[in-house]
Amino acid sequence: MAEVKYEAASRIYPGTEIAAVNELNLDIADGELLVLVGPSGSGKSTALRMLAGLEFVDKGSIYINGKDVTLSPPQDRDIAMVFQNYALYPQMSVASNMAFALKQQGIPKAERMERVKEAAKILDLEPYLDRKPKNLSGGQRQRVAMGRAIVREPQVFLMDEPLSNLDAKLRVQTRTELVDLQARLGVTTVYVTHDQVEAMTMGHRVAVLDHGVLQQVDTPRRLYSAPANLFVAGFIGSPAMNLIEVDRTGDELHFGSAAVPLPDDVRADLRASSSKRFVIGIRPEHLGQDQNGTACGVTVVEELGSDAFIHASMPHEGDEVTVVVRLDGETEIVRGDQLSIGIDGPVHIFDAESGARLGTPVT
Amino acid sequence: MSSKGNTGPVVGQRTFGGYLLSLLAWLVGLLFFFPVFYMALSGFKTEADANADPSLIFDPTMEQFNKVTADKPGLLDAAEAFANSAWIVAISTILCMALAIPAAYALSIKPIGKWKDVLFFFISTKFLPIVAAILPLWLIADYLDLRNTRLLLIILYTAMNLPLAVWMLRSFFAEVPKELIEAAQIDGASLRSQITSVIMPIVAPGIAATALLCVIFAWNEFYLAIQLNTSGASTVPIWVNSAVEFQGQFLAQLSAAATLATLPVVIAGWLAQKRMIRGLAMGAIK
Amino acid sequence: MASTSTLSRDEQVKALQKKEARRRRIPLLPALLFTIVVTQTPFAFSLYFGFLKWRGNTPAPREWIGFKNYTDAFQNMFFREAAWVSILMTVSAVLLSVILGTLIALLLDRKFFGQGFVRTLIITPFLVMPVVAGLVWKNQMFSATFGVINWVINIFGFESREWVSEFPLWTIVVVLVWQWTPFMMLIMLAGLQGQSSSVLEAAKVDGASASATFFQITLPHLRPYLELGVLLGSIYLIQVYDHIFTITGGGPGSTNIPFFVNQRSFGAAFAYGSASAYSILVVIAAILIANFGLRVLSGLLEGEEA
Repeated sequence: MAEVKYEAASRIYPGTEIAAVNELNLDIADGELLVLVGPSGSGKSTALRMLAGLEFVDKGSIYINGKDVTLSPPQDRDIAMVFQNYALYPQMSVASNMAFALKQQGIPKAERMERVKEAAKILDLEPYLDRKPKNLSGGQRQRVAMGRAIVREPQVFLMDEPLSNLDAKLRVQTRTELVDLQARLGVTTVYVTHDQVEAMTMGHRVAVLDHGVLQQVDTPRRLYSAPANLFVAGFIGSPAMNLIEVDRTGDELHFGSAAVPLPDDVRADLRASSSKRFVIGIRPEHLGQDQNGTACGVTVVEELGSDAFIHASMPHEGDEVTVVVRLDGETEIVRGDQLSIGIDGPVHIFDAESGARLGTPVT
Repeated sequence: MSSKGNTGPVVGQRTFGGYLLSLLAWLVGLLFFFPVFYMALSGFKTEADANADPSLIFDPTMEQFNKVTADKPGLLDAAEAFANSAWIVAISTILCMALAIPAAYALSIKPIGKWKDVLFFFISTKFLPIVAAILPLWLIADYLDLRNTRLLLIILYTAMNLPLAVWMLRSFFAEVPKELIEAAQIDGASLRSQITSVIMPIVAPGIAATALLCVIFAWNEFYLAIQLNTSGASTVPIWVNSAVEFQGQFLAQLSAAATLATLPVVIAGWLAQKRMIRGLAMGAIK
Repeated sequence: MASTSTLSRDEQVKALQKKEARRRRIPLLPALLFTIVVTQTPFAFSLYFGFLKWRGNTPAPREWIGFKNYTDAFQNMFFREAAWVSILMTVSAVLLSVILGTLIALLLDRKFFGQGFVRTLIITPFLVMPVVAGLVWKNQMFSATFGVINWVINIFGFESREWVSEFPLWTIVVVLVWQWTPFMMLIMLAGLQGQSSSVLEAAKVDGASASATFFQITLPHLRPYLELGVLLGSIYLIQVYDHIFTITGGGPGSTNIPFFVNQRSFGAAFAYGSASAYSILVVIAAILIANFGLRVLSGLLEGEEA
């Protein structure tokens, strides 16, 4: 049990100029499940490995439970890690795999076995304790990797894309099991994934990284409703937020044929800004059919049963842009139809150059 | 990626052409093996049978084996040569592994900065012609009183096999998943524990195959052995070449000696064939 | 820790990284030092001896004669001849064994009765002691009187021949090819088995003929393996000594560079100074060849960087 703190922690790989992780500041509370998410190359795994002690921290510090561990080797950090490919010791049985860390601590055999059995019970691994990893299914291997982490009763769990080698159905199931397990054990957990759905569904808070820089850290709901910048706006949410670049007309922005309703604080920021180009961001569910909207041609209809996503081509600044509209699943719209689309909900405005959000978020 | 014959589509297995290819493979196999087989066979012949038109039918005798393994006071006899070879090969191989395993570790698992350059240096020493070093070697060995000692050949065979051993071991070590070692580190394993309980069990077969290849090359080495020895540490290849009096009829005797000299390494090679080649080829090519 | 507390955090990190880098180098050092001492010292001596007039079989004192040994070397007809033999022997033995090895590997890369056994038969020659290979081939296969080869060709109505004295170089090449084909075969087999079957299936679905599949898919895939085979084969075959010693004893047209240099020193001439000069020339040639060879290797290791 512990809190974790990144303090301006950077990692610059030898022979490179640009930091893989750039001055990361992050406070993770005791018992929290924090998800690090970002595209590949965003530095999320590097950040995790810095915490694990598998990467040097070139600048800054990392603290676990208030203790500066920046210069400590992984052995001294009292952490457990679950790897993407599980990294099970191939020549050891499931039980030995789980007991390995305890053995390193010099814990007597009887106690080791006791704790392994306990963990195996939690994870439904009891029938497999004598098997070798190669004789297990992917899901079972994943659970052994989890088991290896929990028998340790470490201060922090580190998980590096632990679900990405599972098939889609098992992944969703394991996801909820993992959240439940983490809540029950109450161990501070840092979880890395590239999958924003995983991040949103699992994290108490989610930290979004891009190019080694922390973009935003917040609860899933806040990330969704108030993305701090263009990157987060585009990364979080599926299908992605509609992001449409526009010129300003005075202190007005136009979406299709209509003026975008702007709250006062945004308008104030807009007036104060020296930028010429802005980006309007609208979630698919905040667009809808509207008598006074813009006429668009439907190009693709994605039916998910519960919802339908309508891709439509909208005339915009003398060009065409594609917008995605979420409608309920009962729709009868087909490709080739004409729709009149208008805004029906909050609008996010970003500076096109800096990517920064304008105004205070609407909730 | 399985090892089943996967270029199979060229000719089906149960077609006439397929059978013909299988037959051809067998013929090629027998042809390549024939000289070895004929050598072993001739060892059981009398000199009269051996020095006649080739024939597979004869009265087998152990006479030649007895003759070549007999004590030869004042001359190099079989027992001495085999003992010399066994000691030299065993110790040089152990030494070679003791040097190569840590080096391979430093070139793969925790690679040093310029691991490629270092690997190239090792391999480049294999390009240097041994013959160009023989005179200084002789003089240095003479100066250090190492001529005619097993120690000299042990040192030289270790150096001779070291580049190949490093090369092969590096490729076996490179197959150890990095995450496995990281997992062990996080599990609190010391360096020693990482090596003994995580790395070694995985690379052990590779180490065995590499050691065997070193054994083969050391056992078969002739040039250094004969140039730097006149007595004292003569090895099996020298014995084969000297056990036979090349006057009069000697074919059967030669065959018997040759068979004995070849046998240990041939058996070792048969046992290790698959892994040996994986280490040579696979590590180099990803 | 107390002693380092005066350092800034950045300096501590730097020091730690340096220490780690040093720690990583330690396991390498014994092997590296051993190799440098044992393989490089002799050449330093040779370099010095090459400038001396020094005969091992006379008490005459050594004498510094500058580059004379080298100028003599270039004028020595036998040296040039030996160089030519070396090239001919290495190139032909390597090429033939690679080609034969590839063909046999293709033959063995199919499932058939006794596949493993046939492979075992074929690799045997590679394991045979070179001295034994030379003696057995010379006395049992090539022998003019009771040799197997003459016996076989007599059946087909050809005259017996004195193989070794008529074709000294080529008899040696035959034995080398016999020994090295199995090695090449094993490397090629590893290559063939590393070929993904889905690619071959894709080719089949695309309607490629067997020969098109081989030349356009299998052969390019085998290329690195071919390069490795040629490289390793050349390293060993350029140093051939034992086979020449046992088969022809360096008879006309079969003396390669190693054999020639050895003759200059221990073999017969005891011309230590000039033998050393030859040695250095050979080393220079070897460095040039190695440079080329390592470039090939470098290509093979490409993509394994990170």
